Amino acid sequence: MTEKKFGDYIINVDNICKTFPNGVKALCNFSTNIRRAEVVVVIGPSGSGKSTFLRCLNGLEEIDSGSIIFDGIPLDDDKKNRLKIRREMGMVFQSFNLFPHMTVLENVTLAQQLVRKSSASVAKSVSMELLEKVGIQDKVASYPAQLSGGQQQRVAIARALALKPKVMLFDEATSALDPEMIGEVLDVMKTLANEGMTMICVTHELGFAREVSDWVIFMDEGRIIEGGTAEEFFSAPKEERTKGFLNQIL
Amino acid sequence: MRKKSSLTLTDLLIGSFLLLVCLFFVYRIKVGLNYNWAWDSIPQFIFRFDKENNEWVSGILMTGFYTTIRLSFWGIILATVFGVISGIAKTSSILFLRWLATTYVETMRNLPPLVIIFIAYFFVGDQLLSPLGIDDWAETLSPASQNILSILFAKPGYLTSFFAALMTLAIFEGAYITEIVRAGIESIDKGQWEASHALGLTWYQQMRHIILPQTFQRIMPPMAGQFISLIKDSSIVSVISIQELCFQGIELMTSTLHTIEIWTVVTLMYLTLTLPCSLLVEKLETRLNLSLR
Repeated sequence: MTEKKFGDYIINVDNICKTFPNGVKALCNFSTNIRRAEVVVVIGPSGSGKSTFLRCLNGLEEIDSGSIIFDGIPLDDDKKNRLKIRREMGMVFQSFNLFPHMTVLENVTLAQQLVRKSSASVAKSVSMELLEKVGIQDKVASYPAQLSGGQQQRVAIARALALKPKVMLFDEATSALDPEMIGEVLDVMKTLANEGMTMICVTHELGFAREVSDWVIFMDEGRIIEGGTAEEFFSAPKEERTKGFLNQIL
Repeated sequence: MRKKSSLTLTDLLIGSFLLLVCLFFVYRIKVGLNYNWAWDSIPQFIFRFDKENNEWVSGILMTGFYTTIRLSFWGIILATVFGVISGIAKTSSILFLRWLATTYVETMRNLPPLVIIFIAYFFVGDQLLSPLGIDDWAETLSPASQNILSILFAKPGYLTSFFAALMTLAIFEGAYITEIVRAGIESIDKGQWEASHALGLTWYQQMRHIILPQTFQRIMPPMAGQFISLIKDSSIVSVISIQELCFQGIELMTSTLHTIEIWTVVTLMYLTLTLPCSLLVEKLETRLNLSLR
């Protein structure tokens, strides 16, 4: 892996806790800092709070205590701050969540016009560029239902990139895909990582984690059990629980 | 699944039984009922030739039909507006708005429409609309504008009661549309909210561009069904002397006693309004099924 230059911290997560209304503790005293251009992979058994962590970062879930600061902006009760943060973070979901009533192109164009107030022509050319990047340029007039899962997820990535976010969040982006389509989505994610995008990926793809990530976080029961560089983490895990998890999967 | 369209023996048996029932019915009317048929007097109630002005004018039933169309047309628009607003309020995160919408829906759904009509007519119409002086204002207008008013709504002098009837109908049907809209909004996948939220859309933008367009696509069939109900329910305003189709039918029946002929015509007139809507529903449902495949 080539040496990457990281910038300053872009996300500071300090001691956050999140308990769901049904009493399940999803996150517990969770702290981490993420630098610019860093690719962080979060792994762990299901129900360990990985997705919740990601969803707290852009305000899809409310934290009960602790603080999240994104690029100097605190994620607090101020609606303007929250909106600002959401607009600087792109998110890709497990179930794609494309807008079914809009074409591929409209899916990518919409937020640029609404949020960034881009003109229709600028938004369109940006969208075409992004769709080309993810390899969907010949399907721009199709509706999401006419695309395969892998294609839909690549459109979803283009849609999230359209706002030129500072950070991309991937919430199990390949978990709902057929095996033969996982590769095409991972390839797009790898390209992004190599271009220096700050990324936080919740994933079960350990191969991807090993190859691309700068930092791996292993979570269980809402806590960070272990964090380390990909090399340290996969070749010499320190904690028993990490070893157990890796043995089960590898 | 494709349904069989060829006739089976059972179908034939049922069909011939129904035919027998019809024949018996006709026979009873012919023999048992001492009825004075007068079909030839009916056309004048639809269109008649005005000899004084030398022109064709609409008959009593036809003018009633027009009023029913006016009530239905404006009623559908207004009820949709009420229903969409309070349907959105029902899914709001603000408790007060939910309470307001729920109170509205539950009041309307738990009262007989007749009671609502009377309340609206005597309270809303008399106390709220009359002081506005709509009818007096309409009298002062030029004949041309009066003409437009009577084509769109009702003749000057009848405007207040027309608006009272229209509002009642719209508020009553709006309650049912509220529930359709609410169910439609709630049927939209949570992921749609989350994806648009993550893109930094405001609540208004989410509703306007993501949630409502999909909701409307989905609720088309039940909405069209509700519009049919509205057209039919417009007949209840006959009790407050709105001269719509049913009212005119009752008036004619009492003065001419041609009961069967008049109600046959009224039936056909309602069907010309509601059947196209039904066909539309069927079409929409097939299209929806296709797009969801």
